[in-house]
Amino acid sequence: VIWRFVQGRRSSRKAVLLLGLCDAGKTLLFARLLTGKYRDTQTSITDSSAVYRVSSDKSANVTLIDLPGHESLRLQFLERFKAAARAIVFVVDSVAFQREVKDVAEFLYQVLVDSTVLKNAPALLIACNKQDVTMAKSAKLIQQQLEKELNTLRVTRSAAPTSLDGSATGGPAQLGKKGKDFDFSQLPMKVEFVECSARGSKGEEGDADFEGLEKWLAKIA
Amino acid sequence: TLKYKLDNQFELVFVVGFQKILTLTYVDKLIDDVHKEFRDKYRNEFQQKGTLGLLNGTFDFKDDFMRLLRDAEESSKVRAPTVMKTFEQSLKSQKTVKCMIETRGEKPKEKVKNKKNKGSKKEGTEAVAVPGKASAGDKQPSAAGDREELTKDEILQKNREEFFKRHMKAGEKSSKSPKPDAQKEKGKKPRVWDLGNSNAKVLDYSNSATNGSAEACPVEEFDPDIALGDRNREPGRLYDLEYESDDEAEEEKVIQNPSKPSAKKGGLGGMFGMLKGLVGSKSLTREDMDPVLEKMKDHLIAKNVAAEIAVQLCESVAKKLEGKVMGTFTTVTSTVKQALQEALVQILQPQRRVDVLRDVMDAQRHRRPYVVTFCGVNGVGKSTNLAKISFWLIENGFSVLIAACDTFRAGAVEQLRTHTRRLNALHPPESHGGRTMVQLYEKGYGKDAAGIAMEAISYARNQGFDVVLVDTAGRMQDNAPLMTALAKLIAVNAPDLVLFVGEALVGNEAVDQLVKFNKALADHSMAQTPRLIDGIVLTKFDTIDDKVGAAISMTYITSKPIVFVGTGQTYCDLRSLNAKAVVAALMKA
Repeated sequence: VIWRFVQGRRSSRKAVLLLGLCDAGKTLLFARLLTGKYRDTQTSITDSSAVYRVSSDKSANVTLIDLPGHESLRLQFLERFKAAARAIVFVVDSVAFQREVKDVAEFLYQVLVDSTVLKNAPALLIACNKQDVTMAKSAKLIQQQLEKELNTLRVTRSAAPTSLDGSATGGPAQLGKKGKDFDFSQLPMKVEFVECSARGSKGEEGDADFEGLEKWLAKIA
Repeated sequence: TLKYKLDNQFELVFVVGFQKILTLTYVDKLIDDVHKEFRDKYRNEFQQKGTLGLLNGTFDFKDDFMRLLRDAEESSKVRAPTVMKTFEQSLKSQKTVKCMIETRGEKPKEKVKNKKNKGSKKEGTEAVAVPGKASAGDKQPSAAGDREELTKDEILQKNREEFFKRHMKAGEKSSKSPKPDAQKEKGKKPRVWDLGNSNAKVLDYSNSATNGSAEACPVEEFDPDIALGDRNREPGRLYDLEYESDDEAEEEKVIQNPSKPSAKKGGLGGMFGMLKGLVGSKSLTREDMDPVLEKMKDHLIAKNVAAEIAVQLCESVAKKLEGKVMGTFTTVTSTVKQALQEALVQILQPQRRVDVLRDVMDAQRHRRPYVVTFCGVNGVGKSTNLAKISFWLIENGFSVLIAACDTFRAGAVEQLRTHTRRLNALHPPESHGGRTMVQLYEKGYGKDAAGIAMEAISYARNQGFDVVLVDTAGRMQDNAPLMTALAKLIAVNAPDLVLFVGEALVGNEAVDQLVKFNKALADHSMAQTPRLIDGIVLTKFDTIDDKVGAAISMTYITSKPIVFVGTGQTYCDLRSLNAKAVVAALMKA
């Protein structure tokens, strides 16, 4: 009975969430992982989910859930699915990163301080998408910038006025260690950075370059 | 422009984009047809395969779509000429019939009306006409379907006014003999709705009193009717218009009677439907949702949400849920409540970042002051909340310059000076490395606010202040010169953040205030993209217990976030909005 209970608990968190800003490439990545074909995508209004079979290991499978990135929708869907998340893939648009650094960091911060996420500590993969474009930033650079940005954010967020019913907005969750500068290694969950390209270097007909992503998914499953 | 249709059962959205100038009439029909075809064709794929099916399936809908488009275009072309034909026929035929049927009884009434219109000077006749009119008026409401009484009335009047016949112009006007009217009454019933709706505004009960029976001619077809009224007016016969309105008045009353019995029947059927709805999955229809939505709407209005906002909210929730398949053991009420709650949370969730401190840090890096302007109507708490916000900023280590641009209200500058003194006492310069954290920039009363603001900003830049808080005078949204002055201040000084201060006690006024403020800002700014209100400060939140609807109204109108919430008059009474808590308070019974 206990074994089944534990099993149930584990299996209830079988989902891998695809999060990110608008136009980061989540839906295309989703389609590529599942079907291998390129499809024209529109801005997602609602979530889509499907079961993904890991190519190397036939028995393992995870449910991929693609959530909309639009500002007005993202939190709503995150609320719905965060409890079921075993892992999170945060897709970042490497080309527009310089411009969007603040928004990316803000969304990432919101995901990270969420109490459910902190409790479950799902594995986090930051996928730096759109590497096929020449101006794309490297994963290392993105990591550094995000760390700096999150450092400032946790100061400003925790200093914000407390919420109406008394619960602080920054939460008792303080990201990372107080004294030191923020670092991704300070988080309770495993964080990895990987570069990928949903469209693929050969254009629309060719395959997508995301072996790193696939390997990570195989590890998770 | 775009038109869209939702299919909630399969979660599809159909969007049609077309040029607004073209005024295509077949768009609605087209979108409905496309929806039906697509759904029927690919129904299996949706139901069985789910997401993978969507991804893998090829949807060769192009041919079908072209076919539907062609059909829609042709149908719209064919309809127009035929309409014209029937109109012609009806007009001509009606005229002939009408001219033939003329009873004596009708004439006096018409003559009374003629007289009124032509403005004849016969006082005596007018005096008689008035009681005649009054009696006819009394008869009018009760005699909706009652022909006999009217005729008696007409006879009475005829006897009374026979004497004045020679003074009246011979009524070439058609009569309404009761019989053709009775016939037409039956024929009119199905068409009654269109008439009632379109000409309801033209209704003029004072005029309709004079003429009980309706003229047959103008009221034959629906669309042509409206045009027909115009046609008859051309020859210069004014009273035709009034005849038409009489008609509407009568028919409106007729409408009310049949509608009542049908409502009762609906009640019984509704009960069974409710039981059916509890068990098993059924799709939601408009009728199921309407009573629940009505209740929700009243509940929201009771919680101080502006009336039009509540209506729009319920409408959009209905649209979102229409046709959706409910799971087992979920009642309509719970589904609707859930959807409404989600919608409310989404409205209150900020769509862009609300982090003021972050932006201040950015401005600090660029060595320019971060300018915040407070605007709002009189007495909402601008100066008080300005002081609270400056306290919060000082706590976080930013130096603040307060610009007193309220040059109108007596004591405004003194008020800010007192605040400055207090804040400096709380945070003495010694504890902040020798700088005064707060300073007041003022130029007395009666000067130009925009000029003071500009000088304050340049002073702040020279002295190295981090933030400039600009306090403006309260002004009513209808006061055009003051709104222009505010718009000028904002356009000239280009602040980083324009905050509208609104109190939580406001009800329907919130909508009006915000709309007019935004409009004024947009109208008077010369730039391409005018600076509008960027955020809202909701004040006096401690005075309302759970009637928190004002928050919803304000964010719905502007779609800008609520940046701060003021909950009292001390410096620490500044909060940020917790969307879930507010929605919970709102939905609580």
